[in-house]
This record gives sequence, C-alpha cells and structure tokens, in this order.
Amino acid sequence: MKFGINGQLLEVDLTTQTIIRRSIPEAYYKEYFGGRGLGMRLLYDYLPGPGTNPFSPENPLLFVPGLLCGYPFPSASRTCMVTKSPITSPVEKKLAYASTVSYSNMGGFIGPEIKFAGYDAIVVTGKSEKPVYLFIENDRFELRDASKFWGMGTNAFDKAILDELGDRRFETAYIGPGAENGVLFGSVLNTAARAAGRGGTGSVMGSKKLKAIAVRGTGMPPIGRHKEYVDLLKRIRVSFMADSESKNNWRYGGTANAIEMSSNRGSQAVKNYAEGSFVGVKNINADAARQQVWKRDFACYACQLACKKSGFAKGAYGGVVHEGIEYETGTMLGANLMIDDLNGLHSMIELADDYGMDIISLGNVIGFLTECLEKELITTDFLDGIELRWGQVAPAMEMIHKIGRMEGVGRDASKGVRHLSELIGQQSSDFAIHVKGHELAAWNVNGYAKSYGISYTVANRGACHMNGGTPKGQDQSALRDSVGICSFAASWYRDDLHPAMLINAISDSNISTADYDKVGERIFNLEKLMNFREGFNRLDDVLPERFFKDAHTFGQQKDVLIGRDEFEQIMDEYYVERGWNPQSTKPEKEKIITLGLDFVQL
Amino acid sequence: MTLSRKDFIRGMLLGSAGVAVTSQLGLMTFSFSGTNSIKAIVIDYSKCTGCRTCEAVCSASNHPVSIAGEALPGAGNPDYSNIKVWHFNPPLDIPVTCFICADAPCIAACPVKPDAVTGRKALYRDEVFQTIQNDLNRCIGCQSCADACREERGGVIFPDELGQPQRMCTLCQGNPQCVKYCPYEALSFLEITPDMPLRGMSPEKINQLLTEAYYQ
Repeated sequence: MKFGINGQLLEVDLTTQTIIRRSIPEAYYKEYFGGRGLGMRLLYDYLPGPGTNPFSPENPLLFVPGLLCGYPFPSASRTCMVTKSPITSPVEKKLAYASTVSYSNMGGFIGPEIKFAGYDAIVVTGKSEKPVYLFIENDRFELRDASKFWGMGTNAFDKAILDELGDRRFETAYIGPGAENGVLFGSVLNTAARAAGRGGTGSVMGSKKLKAIAVRGTGMPPIGRHKEYVDLLKRIRVSFMADSESKNNWRYGGTANAIEMSSNRGSQAVKNYAEGSFVGVKNINADAARQQVWKRDFACYACQLACKKSGFAKGAYGGVVHEGIEYETGTMLGANLMIDDLNGLHSMIELADDYGMDIISLGNVIGFLTECLEKELITTDFLDGIELRWGQVAPAMEMIHKIGRMEGVGRDASKGVRHLSELIGQQSSDFAIHVKGHELAAWNVNGYAKSYGISYTVANRGACHMNGGTPKGQDQSALRDSVGICSFAASWYRDDLHPAMLINAISDSNISTADYDKVGERIFNLEKLMNFREGFNRLDDVLPERFFKDAHTFGQQKDVLIGRDEFEQIMDEYYVERGWNPQSTKPEKEKIITLGLDFVQL
Repeated sequence: MTLSRKDFIRGMLLGSAGVAVTSQLGLMTFSFSGTNSIKAIVIDYSKCTGCRTCEAVCSASNHPVSIAGEALPGAGNPDYSNIKVWHFNPPLDIPVTCFICADAPCIAACPVKPDAVTGRKALYRDEVFQTIQNDLNRCIGCQSCADACREERGGVIFPDELGQPQRMCTLCQGNPQCVKYCPYEALSFLEITPDMPLRGMSPEKINQLLTEAYYQ
C-alpha cells in the first residue's frame, strides 16, 4: 500500500534558522490522514511533554494541508493550523503552562500550494531573534528578513509581500500586528480575509517572530489509481453542478444566510448571549449585504460554492474594501454587540482582520465589557474613557484599536473574557462566555443544550462550534478537518462519492468506510489524551453560568433555561458513549488500545 | 464623453455599452482578412470567482501527466495550464488565456522566414481552429513572440527553458474543457467580435479597470 502523498514535511527551526526536509512515516497517513489529524500526531512528537509553555520555542506550530488538498476535488482545500493553545487552561492547574491542543482551519489556496511545492506539512519550532518569513519555492526554501513588514496590517502586507516576491502566483499566510503584539486570540490569514481565526494559532506564530510563509509550487501530488481518480473527479464535479439549490444558496449569501435563520430560531449570540434573537437582524442579513455592500463572490480552490463575498462599505465608515460579512463575523461584531449598521459592521470586520485577531473572541470581549459597563461593574475609567454601549460602532472600533495595539485596557482585553472576569470579579464570570478560557462562537446555547451545548463543552480546543453534538458528529468533523473537505460541502461527499473512495484513488489503498470512521475517533481521542495529561477533567467541561440562569426575554427560545441536572445527565451519557470515565473524563484503557493510542505517555 | 469611465466599464460588464469609444480603453480593434471567423474563449469577469477549476481541467486535457511513458488524460499539473487565474487585492480574480488575436502580434514578431510551401513561420495560425501554434522544429527560441504578446496584449505566452513559446490556447480541438467545467459559467466559446470588452489586455490592466468599476 502506497499511502504517502508527498511523503515529506519541512522542519523549520527558527532559533538556529535552519530548515530541513524529513519524511513522514507512512503509518501516520494511514492512521491520521492529513490536516488536523496528521498535525495532532506530529504535535505529539514535537512537544517535549505536558506543560510546555505555548509561547516557548519548544511549542511547535504546524501548517498542515488536508489530505485531499492539491487535488482539484471541489471544496477540498482546507488547511489546518495546529499548535498547543495559548488561551486555554484547566481549573485544577497542576502544571504551570497547562493548556489544550489547538487547531484552526482555513480555506483558500495556501494548502494546495504547499502540496504543489512537494510537502504535506510545515513544522515550525524555535524562536527567531528578528522578524522573518519563510520562503518556499519547490525545493528551494529559506528564511528571509521581515523586519520591514513587522507591524504591518494584514491587508497592506498581503500586497507588499507579493510586490517583494515579484510573482503573483505565490500563496501566502501571515499574521497581523495583534498577534505580533501578543494578543492571545491572534489569527493566521491568507488573501487578507480568509482566517484560521480560532485558538490563538496566530499568537504562537507571533511569539516565534514568524510574520508569514510564502509558498510557490509547480508540481502536483501523485495519483495512485488513475482511472478511479478521473472517474471520481468527473462524477463529483457533475454532482456539484447538478445540485443547483443548495449550491445557489451558498452562492447567494454564504454563511450570512444563517444570520436571519439563526435569529429566527433564537440561536444567535445577541447582547453577549443574553438574547438569542436580534431585533435589527434585517439590517445585517444576507439580503441587506447583497443590496448594500457585497460586490463579488469568491471561491476557494476548485470550489463551486463561492461562499465568500467581497464588499465595499459606504457612508460614515465608507471606502473600505473587505470580504464579509459572514455568520460568525456578522454576528459577533453585529448582533452580539447589538450593532445593525451594516457599513459600520463591514468596517469593523476589516479592522479586526487587519490587526489579525479572531473575531469570535474579539466580539465576546467587547460584548462582555459592554455588559460590565452597563451593569456598572466597571466605569469608563477602566475602559480608558471609551463609552462602550450596545449598538454603537465608534466606541467598538476604538476598542478594537486598543486591543490590537495592546494599549491600556487592551492589554487585559487581549487575554480574553475569562481573564477580564477574574480581574473585574463581582460575579461577572457568570456572563464571561467561554469554555476552558476559549470564547464561544456565534451560536447561542439555550434550547440547544444537546447540540451546541455538548459541542462547546467537550471540544478539544476549548469552546468550538464546529465540533458537533455527538461522538459520531465530532469524529466526522475531525475527519473533514483532516482530509480537507469544507464543512459546507460535506453533504456532497457521501455514498458513492465517499471521501474514503477518494483517499483510496489517490493513495492506491483500500480503506473501508469503517476504517475511515475509526481515523476520526482516533484523532479526537489523541487530542483528548493530550488534554488529559495537561490536567483537564470534568470540571473543565462546563458551560458558562449564563445559560443556566438568564433566559432570553423574547424570541423562539424565550424563557428556556438549561437544567443543571439534565445537562449533567447528557454529559454522563456522552462520556459513556465515548468510552471515557465520566468522572475523570479519561479514555478507558480498552478504548486507548483499540484505537492504537497506547503510545501516548500520560 | 458623456459617460464616466466607471459607468462605462460597469456598462460593459452588463453588455450595454456602445463600441464608439472602445479605443479609449484600449480595446482590441481589428478587421478580419478573408472569411474565416475566429472562435475563442471569452471571459465574463463579472462571474469568475477565482476557483481555478479551469486550470485543473485545462492541464488535465492539454498537458496530461504520464506515468511510465503513458499519457493519462484527466490528470494534469495545473501549473502547465494554458489558462491562468491571477488573484489581486482588492479582491478580484482575473483569468487570462490566449485571446487568439485576429492580428496576432506574436506571429508578426516571429523572425523565422515563412515556409515556401505552407507560408508558415515557426509560429503560425492553425487553419482549422485558428489557434496560435508553434513548430518546434523551426522555432529558434528567441522569445520575440512572448515579448510581443507581453508588450502589446495580455502576456499569455510563457517560454519554456528552451525559449519555445508555451501556454497558447488549443481550444481543446473545438471542445474547450474550461468552458465545459467552469462552475460559474464565466467562460464561453464564442466567435469574437471587435466590441468585446477587456480582450487583449494584461491581467494587471484588466484588474485596474475592474477595480475602478467595483470598488470606487
């Protein structure tokens, strides 16, 4: 069985400024595929052990394209950033730098380009003295000085780096000033707007003084069984082209379609999650964006959905070209802050992306502080005079600047809502919306305990909306992140177009769908074991108090609260189904052995 | 000119602009010699989303990979594609392929003497599909064709390591795969006329004009 794709990774040591090629064991592909799975397996190898300081040179940062990246299967272009999280920590802290694993996923063209250049992963360790960027052109690779780019916003950098390289065919991924300055929720961006936003992977990149990677590849990954490959490719393209309804929905509104849908069913993050429906939703929905802001549709590599939109804001905050709004960005800086000024919102998103900050965590931080000010737990002195109020764009913009620059209140705000609630006290932790220190995304929980509730509490990177509400769903989510298929296109990849068939065709192997599913379970459990050895247990798998205490005052989930006992029972059942001990949450020995994870040192 | 430049380009995108002022925008103007019409890949820049499916299917058709000497159609290295999508910031994706110009400055620039029998230079126009083709045996690798295309048109000819011109559109023998598989119907296979907008220009120039149309 020939399971290697390119079969090699690039190992970059920023401390010694050396780069070497290493082969990747064939078993890793078979057991973890690529993307998130392969990244986690490599993370385990590269981490010296539990308790590694996420900002130390020893913490590796990995760029791992999904297994199918580089082949023109529609919507299979996702790349995963993997590292040890700088933002999470357990309640019972036995190790000074205990934190979870972190993974964050982005689309675009960078993953395929890494494959074209001949690599299946880039592993970055160490720390550079001066800012650098990693240059890769096929088998030529080197670190280049990035001093003149340090401090540059992501939009300006996106242009400047291609000017320096002198070849528009380079693909780049980079951080902004937020991550450089030490904001804990720094993102990694490509094409100025596609972000691996969650989990602080950009912050780790910033701590290493790595501004960017720039990749150009002119090869193609090998194809194991040619006829099968061509047949699958053709059938998948046709199947996408034929399904006009769901495809056209994505093209029309992208994820922004969900803004009004979610508000209608009371599942939106509104007013720092106190509400689930937004009165001003029609001003920031996909229809409004199409009419007022959006200009063009954009697709990732070989994708037929084109869910990304570029817009051009007008009015008081006009003149800004940027991609958005999306469900998460539009909700977290819009509905969650009660902002329904679409042009202002568009410009806020641009500003946050320009600093290179995760808009989900950022929207939480600003929402949390707005609520603290409203409840008079803090005064405007705490906020350096910024009058944060619901629905107001200008003060929110000021706060984004403060955080991105790490000035004054921005220093504390850059550490997330848990840190702020510890600082402010006065029961503010009740409405600090995080799990394990990682903020929740734009999906509200009341009425959705069994889906989003579980998804958030047990996700291995701290609160994660893409995780799924059942073990099976979570394993499938890990699989998508590992083969590189976009969640939005996953429904096309099933039955006689199952991802396992694609993997078999490119790698000349014969895995069954059961083998495939098991890879997902293995990845999720490996992550869990790495978290367990850091000291995470059931005390960390909890929802914020708000969802047990504060019911929405209107909308479809009005008066709905989560029952504590009911939720504990749901959690008990979850651990049992996982094969984990319900008290310690440790995977049982039998489970560890069945999945071949007994190499993990606990 | 009563229309502003911006309105004019917007108008062109909607297909409603007149031809009278085309020369001001550097549009290709030409007249056909003889009766042969030219069909070529025509790109609707309002529809392209930059997905690069065209690059994948073009290379799979025109530059298939070979394993152990056997060509495997359906799989090709996208870097060899004859159509290329150029990404710009502010966000715009500009696919460009050989425009199959009626006056073909590339052929005009070819210094190789016309063959006494066929009348062809090394670079010549195919009689059936009117595509631009290169005779490998006669080409001297001087790259004059690529220079002419870059200076006067879109810069779509890329010389290989021997200096021989590559990446000219073949129209896939009358069944262009990029047109067939473009998920966004941004590509068409049409008879070209002098009033078609944004033809014969470099991606940079097209980007400049479209940036004005979309983001100002």
